[in-house]
Amino acid sequence: MSAALRPGAAASVAPAQRAFEAAWRARAPDGLGFLREAAMERFLRLGLPTQRDETWRYTNLRRIAGTNFGAPADRKASGDPWPSAVAPEYVPANALCIAIVDGHPQLDPASGLRAGLEIRSLRDMANADAATLAALLVPPSDADELRWTLLNTALFADGLLIRVTGRLDGPVILLHSMTGGGEATASHPRVIVEAADGAAATIIERHADGGVPAALCNAVTQIRAGENATIEHYRLFDAEAASNHIATLHLRLAQEARCKQFTIALGGSLVRTDLLASLEGSGAALDAYALLVGHLARHVDCLNVVRHEAPHTTSAQTARSIASGTSRVVFNSKVVVAARAKHAESRQSSRGLLLSPDAEIDTRPQLEIHTDEVKCAHGATTGRLDPSMLFYMLSRGIDRATAQSLLVYAFLADVLTDMSDAGMRASIETALIAQLPDSQVLRAFR
Amino acid sequence: MLNIVNLSARVAGKNILNGINLDVGAGEVHAIMGPNGSGKSTLAQVLAGREDYEVTGGEVRFEGRDLLALKPEERARAGFFLGFQYPVEIPGVNNVYLLKAALNAKRRAAGEPEVDAYEFLALIKQKMKFMEMSETFLTRAVNEGFSGGEKKRNEILQMLVLEPKLAVLDETDSGLDIDALKIVARGVNSLRDPKRAVILVTHYQRLLDYIEPDRVHVLSGGRILKSGDKSLALELEKRGYDWVRESLVA
Repeated sequence: MSAALRPGAAASVAPAQRAFEAAWRARAPDGLGFLREAAMERFLRLGLPTQRDETWRYTNLRRIAGTNFGAPADRKASGDPWPSAVAPEYVPANALCIAIVDGHPQLDPASGLRAGLEIRSLRDMANADAATLAALLVPPSDADELRWTLLNTALFADGLLIRVTGRLDGPVILLHSMTGGGEATASHPRVIVEAADGAAATIIERHADGGVPAALCNAVTQIRAGENATIEHYRLFDAEAASNHIATLHLRLAQEARCKQFTIALGGSLVRTDLLASLEGSGAALDAYALLVGHLARHVDCLNVVRHEAPHTTSAQTARSIASGTSRVVFNSKVVVAARAKHAESRQSSRGLLLSPDAEIDTRPQLEIHTDEVKCAHGATTGRLDPSMLFYMLSRGIDRATAQSLLVYAFLADVLTDMSDAGMRASIETALIAQLPDSQVLRAFR
Repeated sequence: MLNIVNLSARVAGKNILNGINLDVGAGEVHAIMGPNGSGKSTLAQVLAGREDYEVTGGEVRFEGRDLLALKPEERARAGFFLGFQYPVEIPGVNNVYLLKAALNAKRRAAGEPEVDAYEFLALIKQKMKFMEMSETFLTRAVNEGFSGGEKKRNEILQMLVLEPKLAVLDETDSGLDIDALKIVARGVNSLRDPKRAVILVTHYQRLLDYIEPDRVHVLSGGRILKSGDKSLALELEKRGYDWVRESLVA
């Protein structure tokens, strides 16, 4: 074991980091030993990110750093059914649903039995087929947007490998939840999606824990889409409690692969989402949407880094943020166009709507272009509700709260209307409307 | 129906209305005419309750109630309607849903049962037919992408559905071709009855060929300079607004 893993000058080390180190020590060894050790060593050397790190400048992690996180109970053997307390109202008949409790997928023998799909537990793979799994994991890096991925690689107890070989009829729904058991726990779910050439799938990840204050979910999802593959991915955070979510999505698109990605923040106390996308094959196309709702004292920080690595790649980012109460919403997006990515096209559109004087929205579009032959556009605006629209509705007898809600809803509609999955859209609308004033009236407007 | 006594108002620190006096009785149609900047639209907006228009003096009674004490939405529910000179586009909010919510807000306030979606659809289809509007308007967002004429027709459609006691139509005739003007006029005339009143705010006499006013007022410099019957409008058309000002000086 290397020096960094020895308990040392611990006084200056944050309680969370000590807790993660303790979890590391307590882990059951598996076939990923070397890889996990390399990841943990880096994590401990670099420490938790702080606001001095470029991609973390808007998010203060002091509260998380100060928490002595316990490890959740091992749920591997429990085989819990779908947790009814957080069951989504939307589950189409042809969906494959898998509950992931504290990072442990609740697989039953039927889970993988469907055409075009292969599902494996990462824990099983780490023991029986570690070389295959190791080759799939994101390689360790010192980059500050990858800090939590390092920790996840070191500590994930289990997770899923989803191989998509055909065109799936129904969505794969992953319902993440945390149990906690009265104390603050940290879990590190890992999901790997490998879509073969020409495959098509909708993957929905919903983080909907039913009330575990101060818990931390450090989720990492990797998606690789082969040539001509089509992926639609949703990650929805609608946890009720004051839980903390850090979710990193690594996305790689091969030639002519297409991905629509939706990040929807509607719950939790702190939600930090990273989308780290590489458009690696020519003609690859990414449509990334962010619907970020700051409510009460919530902090939402969305970082997108989109790298155009090949010619004729296209990316569009559409972010709609609203902030009420004392919440803060950050949309930080960066597009990097490599020298070889001739004729790349990128578009960034970020609009923010402030609903209270104490709320804050920060938007930061960045472009880094290494070739001339590109088309890049970005636009960012933040404002308040348009008083003339509001007055028009009031003048028709609509009360103020309803008028405001309708305008907020309309503001977010750009993102909602592009969701291909109608059931998902309806489900998100329901969750969204519940956080707007006069939700009863709004329901009638759908 | 409406009694305006010595009403003064300012916008962005500038006095626009300087003591308006006007009485409109039930069953009457009044036309308020005047040059640009005379305060016509400000009067309309003040009556509707626009917040950035500050009332500095006077009072307004609507069926005996203090209109200025009511919020804009309360005025609407009490039976006041403003047809906007520039109807606002609201992307993402469905035109028909807005109207249904408006009607039900009014019905709730009056203690009447709400209309359900089915009843409402039948009602709006009938009114749209009357206004010669295509049913594509059913699915469109409020005024979004509407032409100038379509927006004005949509204002009248809203008025027909909401059946106000008092409608103030702010330059509803501007930007309309003659066919559209006739349709709008037909809409307004269909609402004329002994229990309602209409105030037409307009630049031109043309609208009054189709909606015959009981009284015509000339507004200038934030005051009503002259009032008369419909012949005043014809006189204005012939001799211009300067004639009114000069005749007062003389």
